[in-house]
Formats: sequence, C-alpha cells, structure tokens
Amino acid sequence: MATHTNVPLPARPPTEAPAPWSARLLGRLRHFMDIDVYAVWPLFVMVIIIAYTSTKSSTYLTVFNFENILSQVAPLGIVTMGQAILLISAGLDLSVGYNIALSSIVTGLLLEHGYSLWLAIGAGVLAAMAVGFTNGVLVAQNRAHPFIITLGMSIFLFGLDTQLTGGAPVNDMKGLYTAFGGNLANGFPFFGLPTVAIPLVIVVAFAYFFLRWTPLGRRAYAIGGNEEAAYLSGIPIKRTKILLYTLMGAIVGLTGMVLAGQINEASFNLAQNFELESIACAVIGGTALFGGRGGALRSLQGVALWGVVQNAIVFVGLSSNYQQMALGAIIVIAVMAQRPER
Amino acid sequence: MADPVLLEVEHVGKHFPGVQALDDVSMTLRAGEVHGLVGQNGAGKSTLVKCITGVHPPDAGQIELEGDPITTYMPKRAYDLGIAVVHQRTKLIPYLSVAENVLLGHLPTYHGAVIQRGEANRVTRDLLKRFRLRLDPEMLVHRLGPAERQQVAIARALFRRARLLILDEPTAALDAERAEHLFELIGDLQMQGVGILYVSHHLEEVFRLADQITVLRDGKVVATRPVGELDQNEVVTLMAGRRLENGIARPVGATAPESEPLLELDGVSNPVLRDIRLSVGAGEVVGVTGVIGAGGHDIARALFGLEHLSSGEIRLLGEPYVPQGPRQAIARGLFLVPEDPTRDGLVPVLSVAQNITIVDLPGITRGGLLSLRKERAIARRYVDELSIATGSIDTPVRNLSGGNQQKVLVAKALALGAQVLVLEEPTQGVDVHATAEIHRIVRSLADGGKAVMVISTDIRDLLQFVDRIVALRGGRAVADLPAGETDYAHMLDLTVGSLGAVA
Repeated sequence: MATHTNVPLPARPPTEAPAPWSARLLGRLRHFMDIDVYAVWPLFVMVIIIAYTSTKSSTYLTVFNFENILSQVAPLGIVTMGQAILLISAGLDLSVGYNIALSSIVTGLLLEHGYSLWLAIGAGVLAAMAVGFTNGVLVAQNRAHPFIITLGMSIFLFGLDTQLTGGAPVNDMKGLYTAFGGNLANGFPFFGLPTVAIPLVIVVAFAYFFLRWTPLGRRAYAIGGNEEAAYLSGIPIKRTKILLYTLMGAIVGLTGMVLAGQINEASFNLAQNFELESIACAVIGGTALFGGRGGALRSLQGVALWGVVQNAIVFVGLSSNYQQMALGAIIVIAVMAQRPER
Repeated sequence: MADPVLLEVEHVGKHFPGVQALDDVSMTLRAGEVHGLVGQNGAGKSTLVKCITGVHPPDAGQIELEGDPITTYMPKRAYDLGIAVVHQRTKLIPYLSVAENVLLGHLPTYHGAVIQRGEANRVTRDLLKRFRLRLDPEMLVHRLGPAERQQVAIARALFRRARLLILDEPTAALDAERAEHLFELIGDLQMQGVGILYVSHHLEEVFRLADQITVLRDGKVVATRPVGELDQNEVVTLMAGRRLENGIARPVGATAPESEPLLELDGVSNPVLRDIRLSVGAGEVVGVTGVIGAGGHDIARALFGLEHLSSGEIRLLGEPYVPQGPRQAIARGLFLVPEDPTRDGLVPVLSVAQNITIVDLPGITRGGLLSLRKERAIARRYVDELSIATGSIDTPVRNLSGGNQQKVLVAKALALGAQVLVLEEPTQGVDVHATAEIHRIVRSLADGGKAVMVISTDIRDLLQFVDRIVALRGGRAVADLPAGETDYAHMLDLTVGSLGAVA
C-alpha cells in the first residue's frame, strides 16, 4: 500500500538495466565467496580438531562416527535454531529444557493411555507452544528481562513436569521411537543419515528462510537491533515478541518429539541444560547475545563445533570431564572472538 | 573590595575538525560571584565548560584556578581542584541513599570495611543543614524528583569542597517554585565564597542572578561585563550579532503558498504545551524553534502519540486525528524523523536497505515473503535520489556519517509515502555540506506536495530554508511569521529575549 512518491531532485543517472544472468550469478558467487573470517571461525576450528583427532584414532574418521555425532546433536541443533531467532530479537528462553520435557511427557502420557500417535504428538507440541505463548505474553507485557521471566517459567515447568510423571519416566514412546530411535540399530535409512537429521534439516532450512525472507524474521532483527527505532518505525513490538516466543514453543515441541523418540523416554530431565547449551551454540556460531545480529547457518556451525568437540575428546582418550572444560573454554573464546562492534 | 580571582580563562582556543569552537576566549570569575554564560546553540558554551572541567584540553591559552595554571586537563583532576559541574545528565546512583551519593568515594567506615551509616548520615545532615537543603540523608535517590536530585548533585560537589560550581541549564527540569529554591541556594553559596558559572538560555534568570555576564558568539567572547552595564535587549543583539540581522537570503518561493493544510493543531495542550495553534500546508516547510524545554520536542512527541494530550484537536490530511502511537501515525501518513538517528531512528547493525524498508515491510512483501529484489530496488532508488553516501545499500547504517544517517531517515519517510513529515533537529551534528543537502532535500519534499515541520533550536539554520517559522516560549507559540518577515535577532528576541516574554 506504499505509494512511492517521486521526489524531484537533481537528475541522477537512471538505474542501470538488469545485468545478464551470467553476470548476476558471478556476482552472487563473489558475494558468497566474500567470506567473513569472523563468521566462519568455528568451521576452521572444527577442521583443525578433526584433523588432529584423526591422527589419534583410526576409527575416528568414519562415516559411522559422524553419523553418530549428527544423531547426538540433532535435538540440540533444532532448539538452537529457535534460540537463535529469539537472541536476534534480543530475547532468550531459559525454559526450553523443561518445556522440551513437558511436550515429551504430554505425548508420552497420552501414548501410554492408548491415544493415537498423531493426537499425542499434536497435544505435546501444542503444550510447548502454549508455554511459548505464555512466555511471549509475559515478556511483551512486562518490562522485566526475558531472562528472569523464562527462568521463572523454567522452575514452574520443572514442578509441573515432575508432578505429571510422578518423577518416573514414561518408557515407551511407541511410533516416535520407531521413527527416531529404533532404527538406529538398523543403520541409517535416510540417505545413510539418522532420521533425526530430517527434522534438523527442516528446522534449519526453516530458520534460515524465516530470518531472511519473512517480515516477522526481519522484525526480529529490527527489535533486537534497536527496539526504540523499531517502535518508532511502526513495528508492532508486542505482537512480534509473542509470535516469536510462540514459534520457539513450536520448535521446542518438535525437539521434544525427536528427543523422546530417540531415547524412547519422556521425563522431566530429558533435556537438562538444553537452555544454556542452545544459547551457547548460537553465540559460538556468532549470534549476538544482545540482539540484532546472527543467523541460522552461523548458529548451526556452533552446534556442529559443539558436537565435534564432545566427540573428539572421547577419541583423544580424555575423560568426559574434559568435554565440559573444553566446551566452557570455547564459549568464552567465542565471545572474545566476536568482532568488536557497537 | 574585589573578591579574589577564582577562575581565570586566558586566550583559550579549541579547534575541532571543521570548526573553531573557541577562539581567544578570556574571562574572569571571582570567588562569591555568579557569572552568567550565554550564547546561542553552537556559540561555544559547552565547549568552554568542557575545557574548564578538563574534558577537552584547550589548544591555545590556559586556565588558572586561584592563580595556579591547570596543567593536567582531566575531569578527575578538575574535580580534585574543586571544579564541579552539575547538569541534567549528572549521574547519581539510584539505589543508594542521599548520604551515600553525597559522600560517594569518601564514606566513613570501620577499618575500611564496613560503612558507618550513622556517621555518614550525620555528616550529610550537617552539610545539608549548612546549605539549607531540605533533604533526608537516608532517602533512596531513585525516589527523588529532578529538583532534589539536582540538590544531591550540588551537595556532592559541596562536600568535595567545590570552589567553582558550574550549573548548566539548571532550571530546565524545575518548576517555578523549585527554581526559586535553587536561586536561594545560589545566594547562600555565593555568601560562602563559592564561584558559580551559570550557563543558561533563560536571560531573565541570568539577569536576576549574575554579577557578570559573558556573551559568546561563534566561539568568541563578544562581551564580558558587569550585569549593570548590560540590558536584556543588548545581550540578545550581542548573541545575534548585528551584521546578521540584514540580508538573510530567502529560499525560492519567498511567499508562503496558500495551500490546503495537511496538519493542523488547534489548542493542543499538555503539561508542557499550552494552547498550541499551528498548521502546515501541502508544499510548505514550517520551522518551529525555541530553547530546549520550550516545547518543540514535545510537539513532535505528542504528534507521534508518545506524549499525551490533555486537550486540543489535531487534523491530519483534513481528518480528525487522535495520536495513539507511531504505528497509527505512520498508517495515517505522518512520519517523525527523530532527533538522534542512532538512538531512536535507525537500527545500527542493519543495512541501509533494511533500515529504509523497515517502515513498510508490507510494501515489500509478496505472498507472505519479503521480496529482497524489491527491497534493493527501493533502497537503490532513495540512495540515488537523496545521494546517500554509502559503500553499498548493504552497508550497516552505523558505518554512515551523521548527515547520511539523517538522509536514511528521510528515505524511510519517502519509502512510506508519508504526506506529513516532522523532522527534529535534522542538521544537528552534521557538517556544512550535509546541512546544505538536507536543506535542499527538505525543500524538494515540500515542492513535491508534502507538508514538512522542522523542529530545531538552531534559528539561523531554520531561517535558511523554511517558509514560516513559529517561535515557542515556555510551551506557548509566541509568534508565527513568514520567514521573510523576520530575522535571526528578532527570533532570538522572541525565544529568549524580552519580546517573547510571557506575562
């Protein structure tokens, strides 16, 4: 509905005619090759780690091992996409861990009571979305930081999760297990990849697309980059925040299904530490902790590095305690390595 | 019986890229004296204050405090020497008490470990009593109003034995009664030998309080005399400079076009604004000027729905308009280009293109998705039309100069197709070249049929490109004149001198 009124200003050379497709492709390619070293440092680190570890173990550099890494980080990768979107909008969600658990528990309990798979999945995802929506409303209506609001939600959900299960896990995820976990023993049927890669690929593609090509994604960048300017530009701040947190809820619900199916269990501690790990992965990948910058593929790099490091520590022969130390160090290095801006 | 000289500014010069901010400035301030420092925006008042407080070391000349030249120019050094500045931005710590704020850094402790609260309160109470300040030492600062906070800041300066107190627009946030209290306090301080440099746009106050007045214009001292040797009209003339009165060039279209009004304010009032009546027609550029706090900023905010109106009516494009917020204003074709582009107007990390289209995402959305091709086309078009100097349309706007950031804001308004534009301080902090370009752009917007309101404290700048100019004073519009029928000195008189004084 915008009318682009012509402003009579001193004549400018007319915009050049569109370049031929070949030149455009070349331009695209050059644009793509114009790599920002800051943006891809996790990839370089990853290559170094892989090269080093492969000299330490003959079984490291195998397809099976990398399939294994993929299968391990897929749920974290999915939820990291949602976390990245929130971080870009200068929000964050600390309730994802127990919200993932909630969605798995709702689905698991319904399955246990004999409801159909699709109904159980629908209910589980909706439960997570309801939590996301509530987070969104609370964040949008209050001036309190999302940190404290979603922390409160997280503690609330911990109580709810244990109440629902009585502390005992649901141990049969039926169709979900068949889809994401059971076939693990039979190798990887999906182009040689674990089936958990399917939701991961879909969510990454979605997040990439969402952030680049949707008005809502753009609004997330604007709010995260300068909320006051976004407000003065007529962006509906509250509505946008509510939608973003609800979207996070949907992604969390999906993570719950994948994770519960993978290990065939629904319990309150299904996704412990996912909230902090997903923030860490997004930030390692170069998504700004305070909004405005970041992206899906960048954040995916963070997830990949996370998985590769965890795995490599085992192959190098160090105790798993070193995993935590290494990951902790990487987070700090990542923040320091971020381009000094603003 | 002259009191000893406290501050001696000798031939001080300060050069910034492109501007000689201070040029051979000399003045003398004696102990127990109130010295008024006046001048238009950009005359060099704040630069002089910053030189005295050590923020900007002078390039030439020197500053002496009680006969000793200041050698190290650093804010902390100045503070240690007893020079304190109190202005609106003076920082206090909100969740500490008055006493803790006053004594900050020098709180009495038991063995350096635990604060002696009782002792701190007692010391503060004594200090407050000595200067007849009615403050409770135990009150938390965040519960205080602006007047009390100012008193806390002054008390802190006094506790540090400030001998020279610089008050920068001290009454800007005070009502009449609170201002009276401040004037009494200034009298007390004077009695105790504190020298006061009083920087203000309000000439009445300066004339009432000051013993000496120094007038700055374009970085030079045009007068420094005892108050008895000057009157208000003379000061206004000195601030304006006689030569400037004549020969103000009028832009094309010297007579205001008789066009349909696109924006009309009728009796608009709120706690700051009083019965504002003005209109801006299609093809017209109307300047609104006045000192800080006179209401210009409030008109902009009220129009955009950021400040409430207590009464009055607004018509926008001929329709009644009740401001509810930026979203509604934008939908109705009114756009505000805010004062501080990086703080309020732009998203610094986003690209030029993304900043331009952010106001109208639906305009580049096709089938629910953003058309990046369309976005780039729009961005290229306005970058060309407004000659925005940027590496590319993908450059983050934070990498652009101030003038070019202003242009990106104007581009937003154009991309939106807004018919009524309100620009706040569009040329503040931009260089001469960019200023000229902004003037040209604003004129061409009007020539294209838009209604443009430019709110600015810079009268000289406004007179160069507006059709009409409205003078604000204390929230009232005291004059509404075709730009051709007024000049700088006249407007200055209306906004700060005796001519516009509201009875």
